[in-house]
Amino acid sequence: MSAAELEAVEIQLEQPSGGLWYEAWYRLRRNPGAIVGAVLVSVFVICAIGAPVIAPHDPAKDTFLVNGILQPQPPSRDHWLGLDIQGRDVFSRIVYGARYSLLIGVVSVTIGLSIGLLLGSFAGFVGRWPDSIVMRCMDIMLAIPGLLFAIAIVAMLGPGLWQVMIAVGVVNIPIFARLLRGSVLAQRENDYVLAARSVGVARRKILFSHILPNSMSPVIVAGTLAMATAIIDVAGLGFLGLGPQDPSTPEWGTMLTDSNEYLAAAPYLAIIPCLAIVVSVLGFNLIGDGLREALDPKLRGRA
Amino acid sequence: MVRFIVRRLLLLIPILFGVSVLLFFWVRALPGSPAESLLGERATPALVEAYKERYGLDQPLWKQYVEYMQTIFRDRDLGVSVATHRQVTDEIGQRFPATVELAIAAMIFAVGFGIPLGFIAAKRYGGPVDQGSLFFSLIGISVPIFVLAILLKYIFAVRLAWLPSVGRIDLLNFDAEHPTNFYVLDAIITRDPETLWDVIKHLILPAIALGSIPLAIIARITRASVLDVQNEDYVRTARAKGMAPRIVDRRHVLRNALLPVTTVIGLQMGFLLSGAILTETVFAYPGMGSWLRDAIFNRDYPVLQGGILFLALVFVLVNLVVDVLYAVINPRIRYS
Repeated sequence: MSAAELEAVEIQLEQPSGGLWYEAWYRLRRNPGAIVGAVLVSVFVICAIGAPVIAPHDPAKDTFLVNGILQPQPPSRDHWLGLDIQGRDVFSRIVYGARYSLLIGVVSVTIGLSIGLLLGSFAGFVGRWPDSIVMRCMDIMLAIPGLLFAIAIVAMLGPGLWQVMIAVGVVNIPIFARLLRGSVLAQRENDYVLAARSVGVARRKILFSHILPNSMSPVIVAGTLAMATAIIDVAGLGFLGLGPQDPSTPEWGTMLTDSNEYLAAAPYLAIIPCLAIVVSVLGFNLIGDGLREALDPKLRGRA
Repeated sequence: MVRFIVRRLLLLIPILFGVSVLLFFWVRALPGSPAESLLGERATPALVEAYKERYGLDQPLWKQYVEYMQTIFRDRDLGVSVATHRQVTDEIGQRFPATVELAIAAMIFAVGFGIPLGFIAAKRYGGPVDQGSLFFSLIGISVPIFVLAILLKYIFAVRLAWLPSVGRIDLLNFDAEHPTNFYVLDAIITRDPETLWDVIKHLILPAIALGSIPLAIIARITRASVLDVQNEDYVRTARAKGMAPRIVDRRHVLRNALLPVTTVIGLQMGFLLSGAILTETVFAYPGMGSWLRDAIFNRDYPVLQGGILFLALVFVLVNLVVDVLYAVINPRIRYS
C-alpha cells in the first residue's frame, strides 16, 4: 500500500459514519424480511386510512340480503370475498377492519409505552425505595397471566372498543417499564453520564437528553413487536365476545366469532379474517425482527 | 442457593398479597352484582338484599377482605361458586388438572418438535431447511392461538372427522374412573387402554393449537443457541481430537445449547396458562380457562377471586422454579 492509499483510507476512516441510526437504516434496507414486513404493514396501513375509497360497499349495512333470507355467499366477481350471513360484503368489512386493528394497536401500545416509559425511567434513574415500590407494583401486575388480566379489565369497564384498547395497553405497562428500567440502569453507569454530571448538567436533563435517547433501541423493537401482540390480543378479546358490542362493527376478531357458528357451511367466512390477522401480525413481526438485527448487529442472522 | 430460594419465596408474599388486594377490589368494581346476574328478571330489591346478607356482601369492604383472607388461611376455603353452588376448591381440584394436562401435552409437542427443528436448522445454516424453519417459526408466532384452533377444528374435526372437536373425554365414556382427575394418568392407573386412547384423542388438537407458539419460539432459540455454541473452542477441540461428530453434537453442542432453551420453556409455561383460555373456549375443554371466562360473564365473585389468585400463585411459583433450575443447570450463574 502506497502512502497515498494509506492517506485515503485514513481520510475515509475519519469521516463521520453517520451514527447508529444511519447504520441501522442501512442494515434494515438490506434485510429482505424487513422489506416484506414493510410491504405488508404498508398495505395494512393504506387499507386502514383509505378504507372509504378502497372498500366498494358499506361494511355495516346488509345491502345484499336477498329477500331477507340469511344465507352466506361464496366469493364471486361482484363480491371478491363473498357475502357474510347478514348479506354484507366481506371484502369491505376486512378493509374497514384494518382501521380498527390499526387504531387499537396504536392506541394500546401508546398507552403501555408511555406509562411504562415514565415508570421505568423514573424507577431506573431515581433508584432506592421509589424504584422498589414501582417495580413491586409491576411484579404484581405481571403475576397475573396477560390475557386473563386483559379480560379482567374489560370485565370491569364493560365490553367495547375503548375498553379493549385500555385493557391491552395496561397489560403492556409492566413489560415496557421493566425493559426501560433495565436499559436505563445499564446506561446510568456509562462514562458519558459521569462526564455530564461532572460538568454540572441538571439531573433531569441528564435523564432526558442523555440516558433516554441511548436506552431507546430495545424499546423501539419491543414497541413494534407489541403492535403484533396487541392485534392478536384484541382479536382474541373480540373472539371471546368482549370486543365492540355492535355486531355490524367490522372488527376481525368479532367477525371470526360470528363465522365460527357456520364453520361447516361457510368456512371462507372464518378463513378470511384469520388471514387478515395473520398477515398484519406477520408484517409487524418481520419489521420488529429486522429492527432488532439492525439496531444490534451482533444478533445478525441469529435469533 | 438455599438462601436464594428462601429470599425469593419471601418476596412472593408481598406479591401475592398485592394480587389478592387487587383482585378483591377489582371483583367489587365489576358492574352488576352476582345477586342481580343470578336472580336475573326476578331480582326484586328485597331478594337482592337477602342475597347480599347471605354472602356477606352488605359488610364494609375492608371487613369483607379480612373475612375472606381469614377463611383462606383458617379453613383453606375459597368460598362457594355463586353459579354452581360448588366449593371453589373442589372445582379447582377438577379443572386445574385438566389445564395442566393440556399445558403439558402442548409443551411435549412444542419441545418434541421445536428442539430437533432448531438443531437441524442450525446444522444446515443458510440452507433451504434453515430458511424454511425460520419462515415457519415466524408464521408460528404470527398465527393467534384461537385462529389456529378454529382452523384445526374445522379441518380435522369437522371436515375429516378424525378427531373429536369438544371436551376432554367422550360423553359415552362417563363411567370411567378418575382418582386423580389427570385423565391420562387415571386411564393408566385403572389399566383402561380404550379410555386412554379416547383422552389422548381429545388432547391432540388443543395441544397443537396451544403449543404452536412455544414451538416456534423454542425452535428459534435452539437454532440461535446451537449456532453460538458451535463456534466455541471446546467444540473445536473435541472435533480436533477426532471425536465422532454425533458424540460432539450430543455431549458438547446440544448439552450447552439447551441452557437458554430451558429458561424459555419455563417462561412459556406462563404463556400456556394464558393461552389456555382461548384454546379451552374453542374446544369447549373443561379447564381453568373456560371456567374463569364463564365466571366473568356470570359475575361469580368467589370463583374469580379464588381462581385467579390460585393461577397467580402457580404462575409465580413456576417462574421461581425456572430461576432455580437455571442456576442449578448452569453452574456459571450463581445468584448473589
